[in-house]
Amino acid sequence: MTRQRVILAVLIFSAILAIVLPFTAFAQEEVEEAVVQYRPFLFGGSARVAVWIVAELHLMFAAFVLGVPMFAVIIELVGVRTKDERYNKLAHELTKLLSASFATTAALGGVLAFFLIGLYPGFTHYMANIFHTTFYIYAFLFFGEAFSLYAYYYSWDRLLHKKWAHLLLGLSLNLFGTALMIIANSWTTFMMSPAGIEKETGQLLSLWDAIANPLWNPINIHRLIANVAFGGFVVGAYAAIKFLGATVDEEKAHYDWMGYTGNFIGLAALIPLPFAGYWLGREIYSSSAVMGNISMGGAFSWAFIIQAVLIGMLFIGANYYLWAGMDRIKGAERYAWWIKYLIVMLFFSIAVWLTPHNLPLSGEERSVIGEQYHPFSKFFGVMAAKNAAVNLTILVTFFSFILYRRANKGQTVLFSKQGKGVKIALIIGAAASVALLAWYAIGLPNVKVLEDAIRPYVWPLVILLGIQGGIVIASTILTFFNRGVFAQYLLFGFTIAISVIYMGIYGFELMGKANLLLRYLSVSQVLIVIACLITNTMIDVAVFSRAQSVGGVAWGRMSVRSQYALILLCVTIVTMMGLMGFVRSGLRLDWHIYGVLRDTSDGAFTPSYAYMGEVVGITVLLFLGLVTFVFWLASLGEKKAVEKAELIEEVIA
Amino acid sequence: MRGSFLKAVGFTIAIIGLFTYISIYVSGLSGTDGGEVGGGIDPETGEKLYWGDGQCSTCHKIGNQGSSTRGPDQENLYVRAEERAKARGLSSATEYLVESMVDPSAYIVEGYGDIMPKAYEPPIILEKDQILAILLYLQSLGGEPNIAEVSKYKDKIPTASRKKVKPWVPPVVVDAKVGEDIFFSETHAASCSKCHVVKGKGAKIGPDLDSIGAIQTPEYLMEAILNPSVQIVKGYETVYIITTDGIPYSGIIKNQNESEIVLAVDEGGVIEDVTIHRDEIEDMKQQEISMMPGNLNELLSVKDFYGVVNYLLTLK
Repeated sequence: MTRQRVILAVLIFSAILAIVLPFTAFAQEEVEEAVVQYRPFLFGGSARVAVWIVAELHLMFAAFVLGVPMFAVIIELVGVRTKDERYNKLAHELTKLLSASFATTAALGGVLAFFLIGLYPGFTHYMANIFHTTFYIYAFLFFGEAFSLYAYYYSWDRLLHKKWAHLLLGLSLNLFGTALMIIANSWTTFMMSPAGIEKETGQLLSLWDAIANPLWNPINIHRLIANVAFGGFVVGAYAAIKFLGATVDEEKAHYDWMGYTGNFIGLAALIPLPFAGYWLGREIYSSSAVMGNISMGGAFSWAFIIQAVLIGMLFIGANYYLWAGMDRIKGAERYAWWIKYLIVMLFFSIAVWLTPHNLPLSGEERSVIGEQYHPFSKFFGVMAAKNAAVNLTILVTFFSFILYRRANKGQTVLFSKQGKGVKIALIIGAAASVALLAWYAIGLPNVKVLEDAIRPYVWPLVILLGIQGGIVIASTILTFFNRGVFAQYLLFGFTIAISVIYMGIYGFELMGKANLLLRYLSVSQVLIVIACLITNTMIDVAVFSRAQSVGGVAWGRMSVRSQYALILLCVTIVTMMGLMGFVRSGLRLDWHIYGVLRDTSDGAFTPSYAYMGEVVGITVLLFLGLVTFVFWLASLGEKKAVEKAELIEEVIA
Repeated sequence: MRGSFLKAVGFTIAIIGLFTYISIYVSGLSGTDGGEVGGGIDPETGEKLYWGDGQCSTCHKIGNQGSSTRGPDQENLYVRAEERAKARGLSSATEYLVESMVDPSAYIVEGYGDIMPKAYEPPIILEKDQILAILLYLQSLGGEPNIAEVSKYKDKIPTASRKKVKPWVPPVVVDAKVGEDIFFSETHAASCSKCHVVKGKGAKIGPDLDSIGAIQTPEYLMEAILNPSVQIVKGYETVYIITTDGIPYSGIIKNQNESEIVLAVDEGGVIEDVTIHRDEIEDMKQQEISMMPGNLNELLSVKDFYGVVNYLLTLK
């Protein structure tokens, strides 16, 4: 334990040093007026690839380190509330992984800082001039996070009977971690949408404006959610590997449950992620129409096709795991007939999601077709169809989850006999959903950018938002009259009819007649789906609370294939992070800071997808290899403790 | 444990391999096969550049492909290039094509403006090999691509500009969104979409402005807004017609056939189509004044003016 602490301390010190070092280096450069802008990597290697890989590895570890504490604390809280020791054990195990990964994250952060100073001195110099104040705060917060993590992990046993104090430590760990992330995000997003500077000279005008640049908050939200999904799926894969290697039933049961929890967390965060991604994409377009066009309709449009493949793999993998999990639940056979229909809907929506708008046609092919687009598939390539498809994918996945949840539930308790808490939660959930819909519906007709000619096209959206509000209220009332299950189907049915079918078709009409309204249509679709998810969850909890069980969950009796689904989810989300890192950074084209500081190095070209695939593939392998190694290191202490306990038992015997 | 772990490692490598394979496959589909964007020196790469990064299609259509009329239609270009090379005393059609790319102002096709940018300079910045690929593609339009012939002129093609490009900054703080709102406004007196199309929205009276920011400088755009008659895009000249009844019309020809002409006429700020039968025309002549209002400096505030320019520059 002491040796671990020493290693951790050394790594943290290195990371702090790496943050502070730039100041001294820049001070020196000020004096010498250094003109070196770029340096090659060791042995003439590519500086860009070196920074690319290290930055990506740092981000991947950071995503894990920031995501896991969020649900570790929640799991611990659930354990405190339910007094179920399994949750406490799981939260402790997650924190152990966290503790081991934290030092690697810090070390990689230090390496990244060194690489940037050494290989891109001109760029780093400029960034330090703008952001040096935030570096001090970052360093301070870093100490805060390190100490919180120390305290949270090492006080586990000591505060076993003072759980609220322990949970407070977990909360502070999350607060410090999130603050660190949003500071680092300001540097990244400034490079994409610079603000607060005089653009000709690059001189700083307002540090706050530079921090709170247009893409800052969209990235903050997107990363916050994505980190949870990332952490959940990595934990799921860890559990799957442990499950596959387990020989004892008890161990299998534990890791099966852990894998299920990891998948549940990953999936829960994955569902809102497309909405956050949509917001980010929209803000990229708003901050620079050129960058927006390059991303979805230009040089990077094919990256989104690859992303669609990965998203498809994630949703298919997550759904498959849920369906496979139903095999170990007695009573689940009642719902198995749904699966074939869900598969059809899932594959159809993912096929639409995958279809590109622009097909790569030669001149001859274009002449044969007579236009740039394919006469049939072109309809699936536009945003109207894709919004409908992604909403259907989310609804199908949520439906799978609902089936899973009720798989072993039998006779339900009459709603009138349920506790007050359940009823109040249902009312609050439904009220929040209706308020959300009403808030948007009331504001829509007053949007300033709308011109009189296109204003009439808003009214169908307002009416549909109103209808969904009405369905939410009706479903809630039905639940109070013991028709909760019917209410759920009703809500699902109307949501698909409104958000997927009607609004999907209406999107095409808007594209032709009132293109400006498409963004409002997308938000309306999202809100209708969110209202369905919130209300349906509340109804489900309300209906099946205290329901009779028709058979327990046989934890540990899970197929080997299902564990590979967990590994697939983990590898896919890590790969997707690598791919989207390439897109986010590549959107700047040959600018370090978009429109302000040009990249004039040898690496100032947009790599081909083949090249990107190779670099990201290697990075993903490196990350998974490192993470496996770090987790193995963490397990060494565990083995030692087990051996020690066995020895004591032998001595006592 | 070891066996199951190794299987999991194999499975992981297979997924990553699949991702890498898809990336390589997509690379081929998207025309960015190989290590870097650009591909080789061949007509296929040239064709992709013509319709993509080279921005050629922003101004030139080829027969029924594309719709731009700012520059000449490039169908059977090589045949015309041979004629022009002879007329101008150049050694070959290829030399004429090289001259057109390297120094577009050296010869301006009659009826068109001197508006073509140098493709090796910002904002397009094509590499030498990319320009050679485009030349091969242009040779294929009515001729046979000949890489040996094209390569003879390699040294005449300047290296892509790598100098630091300072972004154009308007003298006042403006937002491109303001410009976009004015562009598409239905109520603003200086609304551009009454006559220009961007992303399929607007009226097709004046030239289509999609990708205008990729091919024109801020200076050109400012001039075009403030003094529209200085440079009138080919095909958008104002035509003056007097009918046999003595009624004068001034506008842009939207459509015409053997029996009638459809003229887009500005009626007090509203563009209307007027159909005139050819046998009712007393006199018809082309004017040197653009139909685009010449008083936009009065209709736009300074901020709005730069907002519109800023917005046009985002259209790439």
